[in-house]
Amino acid sequence: MAKTVFSYILLFVVLVAAQAVVFNQICLFGVAVPLVFIFFILRLPVNTGPNTLLTLGFILGLTVDVFSDTPGMNALCCTVLAGLRNPILHLYLPREDNISNPIPSMKSLTGSVYLKYVITAITLYCALYFILESFTFFALRMLILRIAASTLLTFIIIICIDSLTSLKSEKRL
Amino acid sequence: MRTLLNFLVKHRAWFLFIFYAVISLGLLFKNNPYQRHVYLTSASHVTGSVYKLSNSVTGYFNLRAINDDLQRQNAELSSELLALRDQVDKLTLKVYGDSVPAIEPVRKYDFILAKVINNSISRPHNYITIDKGSLDGVRPEMGVIDQNGVIGVVEIVNDRFARIISLLNPDFRLSCKVKGNDIIGSLVWDGKDSRTALVEELPKHTVFAPGDTIVTSGFSAMFPPDIPVATVIERATTNDDNFYTLRVRLLTEFAQLSTVRIVVNSDLNDIKEIEANMKQ
Repeated sequence: MAKTVFSYILLFVVLVAAQAVVFNQICLFGVAVPLVFIFFILRLPVNTGPNTLLTLGFILGLTVDVFSDTPGMNALCCTVLAGLRNPILHLYLPREDNISNPIPSMKSLTGSVYLKYVITAITLYCALYFILESFTFFALRMLILRIAASTLLTFIIIICIDSLTSLKSEKRL
Repeated sequence: MRTLLNFLVKHRAWFLFIFYAVISLGLLFKNNPYQRHVYLTSASHVTGSVYKLSNSVTGYFNLRAINDDLQRQNAELSSELLALRDQVDKLTLKVYGDSVPAIEPVRKYDFILAKVINNSISRPHNYITIDKGSLDGVRPEMGVIDQNGVIGVVEIVNDRFARIISLLNPDFRLSCKVKGNDIIGSLVWDGKDSRTALVEELPKHTVFAPGDTIVTSGFSAMFPPDIPVATVIERATTNDDNFYTLRVRLLTEFAQLSTVRIVVNSDLNDIKEIEANMKQ
């Protein structure tokens, strides 16, 4: 139990630091921004209660906000995503008692379920984030382009991180 | 009472959600940037230290381009210095014999050098974090420039770090003019490209040609007059027929900022005092 909590704290710190130092500087072709830190919310165990999810999501969003000078934006989006995470997961995974490992990953859920779960969550997050951002300058075509490109880039990086973490746990065994 | 408590306990996830959402929305729509708390910005101690650490690595990346800029400016300054020295020599000869002691000129502007430790150009509201704070004499509302042109204005100051509103932020309007005539316009970023911006509210009789330099007006007390900001590209089309709007190319390379200068205007406090008195 303590080991799991510690590994989640480590994941939180690493993701926030990576987002602040590396991913916030990336803006591919002027449209695609990787919002990789939401991997933390996606990674929380399947049986996490809604209160814990919401609180952790809010804290995560606020921390990223402090680093990227976007007060409240990521906090709001993360809270919404954390609230909708369990419904999204149960959309593709009707019964959670038949999986061995409660931590969602490509291995513990089957590949197609996990991919659908991740892409739905990322699309939701990117759409919300860029709609909020566009309150400053509104341009519909640019908005749709940014949502699509950022979703794709974030999706690719998150799948990479997922395969990296599962690789590490295999080696440990 | 019991049913109310049951209701609250049963729907506590919803209440928690609404609670967090309200806090976030409060942060999001609190519009006045000067009232934002320093702890929730990139100028706080923790975030500042993280960015300082990462800058100690990334600071080397653009050295070549920055070196070129400095060489060019150095050459310009050297030639200017030679011309001025020449002039001083001539004038000294002219007034030699007059026994009037020269009055020591009061230096109005001073500079503080600082390193950029965090910078963004891709968001709608861009900010820059630097590694100098109030202990080094940096105060809010001081102007910031680099060797190429204007960068922004100091917004929030911690004792060791400060956050600057970048020119690439629609909250910041810079009073400026086309070099050579004294007609004032205001420069503002339109969010499209980090290399271009708009100069708005120029009267219709303004004379300009593509390639003309836009300089600071010196009316704002943050910046000395005649600091180059941008060059004119073309007239932009707008709905407003009463004024000209120009699309301009910014002289500062915001993508590769490294060392910046904070303008310390010794008159700033006096000017502020007078303006405050006028409002009362």
